[in-house]
Amino acid sequence: MTEVVADQTPPILKGPSDKEKKYDRQLRLWGGQGQQALENAHILLVNSGSGVVGIETLKNLVLPGIGKFTILDTETVSETDLGVNFFLDEDCLGQPRAEACTALLRELNPDVEGEGHLLEKDGLSGYLQDHHLYTLILFSYPIDPTSLSRIEEYGKKHRIPLVSMHSSGFYSYFRIILPGSFPIVDTHPDSTATTDLRLLTPWPELSQFAAGLTKDIDSLDAHAHGHIPYIAILLHYLKIWKDENGSFPSTYKEKTLFREKVSSAMRTDTPEGGEENFEEAIAAVLKTVSVPALPGSVKEVFDYEPAEIDADSNFWIIAKAVKAFYAQHNQLPLPGSVPDMKAQSTTYVQLQNIYKAKARQDVAEVIKMVRTHPHGKEIDAGEVETFCKNAAFIKLIRGPDASPQSLGEIARKEFRSDEEAAAWGGPLSLFPIYLALRATSHESSMMVADILSEVDASIPDVTSNEHLKKVVEEVARAQGGELHNISSLTGGMTSQEIIKIITKQYIPIDNTCVFDGITSRAQIFRT
Amino acid sequence: MPRDYSNHKSLGLPLNTMVKEARILMVGAGGIGCELLKNLVLTGFGEIHIVDLDTIDLSNLNRQFLFRHEHIKKSKALVAKEAAHQFNPKVKLEAHHANIKDSEFNVDWFKGFTMVFNALDNLEARRHVNKMCLAADVPLIESGTTGFNGQVQVIKKGVTACYDCSVKETPKTFPVCTIRSTPSQPIHCIVWGKSYLLSEIFGTSEDESKEMDHSEDSENAMEIEKLRQESQALKKIKEAMGTSEFPQLLFDKVYKDDIVRLRSMEDMWKTRRPPEALDYATVLKTAEESALVKEDVIKDGQRIWNLEENLLVFKDSLERLSARLQAEKEKAAATADSAEPVITFDKDDEDTLDFVAASSNLRSLIFGIECKSRFDIKQMAGNIIPAIATTNAIVAGLCVLESFKVLKGEYLNTKEIFLSPFAPERLLNPDRMRRPNPDCPVCSVAQTRVLVDMTRATLNDLVEDFLRMELGYGEEFSVSNEAGLLYDPDETDNLSKKLSELGIEGDSFLTVIDDNDTNPRVNLVLNIQESKSPLDDIPIKALDLRPKVDLDADFSLSPIPRRPSKPKDEVEPVDITNGNGNGHDNSTPTATNGNGTVVENKTSSLKRQAVENLGGPEKRAKNAAKASADDDVILVDDDGSILID
Repeated sequence: MTEVVADQTPPILKGPSDKEKKYDRQLRLWGGQGQQALENAHILLVNSGSGVVGIETLKNLVLPGIGKFTILDTETVSETDLGVNFFLDEDCLGQPRAEACTALLRELNPDVEGEGHLLEKDGLSGYLQDHHLYTLILFSYPIDPTSLSRIEEYGKKHRIPLVSMHSSGFYSYFRIILPGSFPIVDTHPDSTATTDLRLLTPWPELSQFAAGLTKDIDSLDAHAHGHIPYIAILLHYLKIWKDENGSFPSTYKEKTLFREKVSSAMRTDTPEGGEENFEEAIAAVLKTVSVPALPGSVKEVFDYEPAEIDADSNFWIIAKAVKAFYAQHNQLPLPGSVPDMKAQSTTYVQLQNIYKAKARQDVAEVIKMVRTHPHGKEIDAGEVETFCKNAAFIKLIRGPDASPQSLGEIARKEFRSDEEAAAWGGPLSLFPIYLALRATSHESSMMVADILSEVDASIPDVTSNEHLKKVVEEVARAQGGELHNISSLTGGMTSQEIIKIITKQYIPIDNTCVFDGITSRAQIFRT
Repeated sequence: MPRDYSNHKSLGLPLNTMVKEARILMVGAGGIGCELLKNLVLTGFGEIHIVDLDTIDLSNLNRQFLFRHEHIKKSKALVAKEAAHQFNPKVKLEAHHANIKDSEFNVDWFKGFTMVFNALDNLEARRHVNKMCLAADVPLIESGTTGFNGQVQVIKKGVTACYDCSVKETPKTFPVCTIRSTPSQPIHCIVWGKSYLLSEIFGTSEDESKEMDHSEDSENAMEIEKLRQESQALKKIKEAMGTSEFPQLLFDKVYKDDIVRLRSMEDMWKTRRPPEALDYATVLKTAEESALVKEDVIKDGQRIWNLEENLLVFKDSLERLSARLQAEKEKAAATADSAEPVITFDKDDEDTLDFVAASSNLRSLIFGIECKSRFDIKQMAGNIIPAIATTNAIVAGLCVLESFKVLKGEYLNTKEIFLSPFAPERLLNPDRMRRPNPDCPVCSVAQTRVLVDMTRATLNDLVEDFLRMELGYGEEFSVSNEAGLLYDPDETDNLSKKLSELGIEGDSFLTVIDDNDTNPRVNLVLNIQESKSPLDDIPIKALDLRPKVDLDADFSLSPIPRRPSKPKDEVEPVDITNGNGNGHDNSTPTATNGNGTVVENKTSSLKRQAVENLGGPEKRAKNAAKASADDDVILVDDDGSILID
């Protein structure tokens, strides 16, 4: 109603909000939902040691706009802090470190709330009471054993993800402890991986449409022949193949033969000497002519028995319905997207609609099953739709308590492969870095012999390893001092994973990442 | 304990001393730049120069942490310097709010640095700094990010591969007829809205050439002529700007009359769906009946607008832009400013974005093409690359680690590191450094500075006396600069002219390409140094080459090395450092333009590339890229998308 509009004075034209503009470059990765999750998050940092890696991690969370952070720290600012911590300046000397860092971090983003408190000895329990407080707890080593067990107990009891970090000299690691099971729906698979065309199990609407396009395939004029979408080409020749051979091509050899058959059907009397749509069909044979197997990660979700407390969550209710759908149809709900292909626009749009309609139908079936669950009534249909779209890529990450592997086992395995690596000059395992840093979890400055005996106490028989000895020497030399650059880099990697956890998008590492700043390498272990 | 206690202890005294004595140039103070500057300052680097021509924008603040809201529109280089200075007053910092391609930053200036860090967001500037560092023989640490992906690479002349040793993907252009007559994808309509319609109405209309390929051939000659007439008619309508009829006149011209004409060319629609013209009055009537509130529509940039909504935004943004241009014109008239005011597309200028979004969607509706939300159009039209703090932190940290190896001269230990954010077993993928590509048109060339008496040196002095007599070149070779060819055996008109008359200036580059069939020399790049006083004897002298050898005795004893004979036996083995041999694949970023177009690598001949990489032919020079570091990009930065800046 332009007339009405014209009368309104003065027209305040608002495009995207300032917030949308500020976060534009990241919204293009994790979208509005991911952003909302960040803005609802409250992160607790229990800062200890020389305290840089935790602040650098927090910086990368304040910038994209987490809702709130709290820093607890027993230290006051010293001259050494100023040399390594960017979020402290001359004026902060002598102040509680938590408060000083909070003030400077808050300057980065006025949308973020933050508070910092000087932690008295044994004062941690005071902050770890109400279980609704924190979305995630972050802490840095070395930390006193009492505080560590407080945090661990609290995380376990209230099912809050914990992330620990240790940065010393050129070495660092961070470790994620997720509570129980951590399911992810929006894993952002590679777009090329998501194509599911159902060429071997076409439904009637698809078969009919494709058959219509290929009815008189040999007598079609050049233009029509060169514009049959490759889906229809493949369906056509698959049908012929089945009629001749009794079944679809299944082995590699059969598929290769089938590909040759499609290839020989391409007209070569064209100006280009071939047809783009047939080229596409030929290229798609090996990838699309197969019944998609149930991915291992999805099977894991289907087979998993969620803890009672989780079973009524939306994820598990929908997962149960999708599992039932799979049991019934022997395939997952159709994602419904169609890749770009050579075709007339009208045909392509029709094809898209056929896939979309089928996808909607599958979603409707899953929703019906979801609604039969006592708590399924309230679940948003959009959430079910998203789940169905991503069904082949859902992922469950288990906490460290599930299928535990002892450090000794990992160490022995890594050292064995190091022997092989030594033979061809390959890179050595970074596991010794984890062992050496772990031995200094509670004390920053330790002698070589003390670190070795600490390692020996928890993992016998590994301290004779020469590589481990060298690493221990390097750790002893650093005396727990942080290099700003290493802590900044480690903070970058840690905050990246924390964003994955908070947004429940993308797959976080499972579960320990060790970094070696001397060789610029990182390695991930499940510890 | 002293402030650099940790650095001293972990780096060791020799390295810590080298760090303190280093003179660093950082090109770009954007996402990577802010992180890098912080790390360099806290690692104790003694002197850091920052160059960036960009100013701070609101959309930088989610990662460029040295900047605050109150710094918007201020120089990135200057604000970054101030912010970093506070945290370590001992470091000597110098900031240049300038384009790194400016002539003040010449080869000699580059030679003054221990090493250079690239923290840039565009191919042009990266190529330039790469070339300058090779010419000055200063090590360069090159880095970039796209979303979660990123990479770091050390470039040292003659030791490691340079930025241009691997072919980079060039920006996509579209044939003009696809954009103007036969669009088939949303991107075609967006390019039309941005590079044709907006620039015809509010710009100089020359801008459009960037992403449209106007090459004519016999098949499209007639259509191109028609399109010219169409543009002429549009210029007439432009005169109605500011009147209340303007939106309708423009709308009916481009969405009705032009479409009706296009549709009448029946041959064109034999194999395509013919376009359906729109009528302004009809659509506006429906819009009024549906009681749409313009403000609500404009606020909602995530949803795809329908026909009527697009019309409202089209009309409204057109009026906003018209008013702006009128005001600019009045201002210019008042100040007797001769430059015609223009409005050009800027993804962060809402008026232009709304106009492009609505006008491209209207065109999509006409051609039966899928419409896009303003949010998506912003990304496609603005060539937006996602950028986050975390990736920048990782990449900047890796850069500093590589700089330690550079300081120690351990180039063979340097790594080309790719982030692999989605690989479950590691987050980083360090590859062994690559050796220079012997066919690289940029680094596998001979380089020398030549001292030139610009008051009298002619092209003939260069060709005959210097190249033939002094360096022993034969008959077949060519000389060119970024403006194009200056000399070859068939192009001798310029010989008698002075170099200064040919537009050759001090600090510019000339490329000499040996076209001898047998055993040709590698390409030679001459960096012109203007002599301060007239030279007594000869007007052109080599500065870096060894003195003249007896060429007659052995013809192969030219100071310019010969091209390696093919086939080469020195093919780099596939790297096996990580046991998978394909480190690059994990981190190959995907095109972010969302239109699924495939980008072809345009591998041109060696000769052609050499010229392009020297700063390029006309087109390239005209588009002179910004050496800004807004959004830190990697390998495929300009990939598949359309050019902005």
